[in-house]
Amino acid sequence: MSNTQENTTHFGFKTVEEDRKADLVAEVFHSVATKYDVMNDVLSMGIHRVWKRFTIDCSGIRKGQKALDLAGGTGDLTAKFSRIVGKTGHVVLADINDSMLKVGRSKLRDMGIVDNVDYIQANAEELPFPDNHFDLVTIAFGLRNVTDKDKALASIYRVLKPGGRLLVLEFSKPLYRPLSKFYDFYSFNILPKLGKLIANDSESYRYLAESIRMHPNQDTLKEMMNNVGFEDSEYFNLTAGIVALHRGYKY
Amino acid sequence: MPLDNLLCGLLETGVNKLHQLDSSAQQRRKMLDGVIIAVTLKELNKPLYFVISKQQIDILAKYEGQADCFIRLNLSALKELQNNHQLTRLIKSEQLEVEGDIQLVQQFAQLLTEMDIDWEEFLSSKVGDVLAHKFCYHAKQCQQGLSQQLKKIEKHSAQFITEELKLAPGPLQVAYFCEQVSELEKQCLQLEARIAQRLQKI
Repeated sequence: MSNTQENTTHFGFKTVEEDRKADLVAEVFHSVATKYDVMNDVLSMGIHRVWKRFTIDCSGIRKGQKALDLAGGTGDLTAKFSRIVGKTGHVVLADINDSMLKVGRSKLRDMGIVDNVDYIQANAEELPFPDNHFDLVTIAFGLRNVTDKDKALASIYRVLKPGGRLLVLEFSKPLYRPLSKFYDFYSFNILPKLGKLIANDSESYRYLAESIRMHPNQDTLKEMMNNVGFEDSEYFNLTAGIVALHRGYKY
Repeated sequence: MPLDNLLCGLLETGVNKLHQLDSSAQQRRKMLDGVIIAVTLKELNKPLYFVISKQQIDILAKYEGQADCFIRLNLSALKELQNNHQLTRLIKSEQLEVEGDIQLVQQFAQLLTEMDIDWEEFLSSKVGDVLAHKFCYHAKQCQQGLSQQLKKIEKHSAQFITEELKLAPGPLQVAYFCEQVSELEKQCLQLEARIAQRLQKI
């Protein structure tokens, strides 16, 4: 009995076996990959662009550095990083989902970004990179979907160079009660309907809303980062805590 | 903080949209490929970082590395940057401070100001040739008329102030007054010289 409990994890509000979560998440993203960018703009009313800009400002990335954009999806952050690090730098766009990776790759190539970006399908828990390799690792709206978050954070810590930073941009817990009421209403009633309307897939967006509720809040995530070895961890609440950016350093 | 990001985002989108309309912009961006330029307006005292690449211009509110060129300038100097010959004059009058390659500043100013956009062509793809031509023609006429009117108003109000209200002197009066002042100055000098002469005699 206890054995079965140990091997389960949450998938939205459902409880599933650990080895099935990755497949279930994959299904969600296979189904939304092509509409992903449009949906982001519609659902967040364009605010996700400001969140991502803030992430870039906090990244401290500069010319000639190596960056890893984990769960990079359609490559919004990768595109910016690639232009900032220039010819001497290098950016790796990694995602566990090949549909998202393909959409991202074709989008970036269409934009003319070819020289310094690599595309790798990888699991955040077992990153296929040597130790002390990257100056910056970002994971934007991805950590929520990882089965074993501690393992993923540890694996990220391993590939970071000393002096490197991790940025986690992720939905979090709203700071104010009235806002949180409105937010709940929006995400459980409106969001799946919009998902149905635009991407013809309400289930995936129901999962999105549920998985946000199951994600650890600001302080818990900070604690998790500290536990795997990150130092000077801090977080910034964006849009009243609907999204939080966590930053940790490896020294 | 996110307000900065929002403003940067809007500025970046605006600049890049304009650049998309200008067919020669890509060529000019290529010359500055990979260059990072920090621009600070003296009035705001907040640097903006322009990351230029072949694809577009990215504007960042924060950059922790070393920019290739630092520019500090007044808002009023911004307009004069258009004219390349003005650069040295602006630097001399301390309206513009540059750290780094001055050639980069010139190219950067050209990149932002010399946008050769054929609005008529752009409009014609949206509303058709005839309307676009009509619209641009009338816009040009309005602009000409407006500038003529402005000149007229300026002239009239100047006359009203000097002739009707007598608040300010007319140009001839000013010239006459200046003449009188210089005459007085001459007389004073003469007087001074005579006094000095007398004093020496005593």
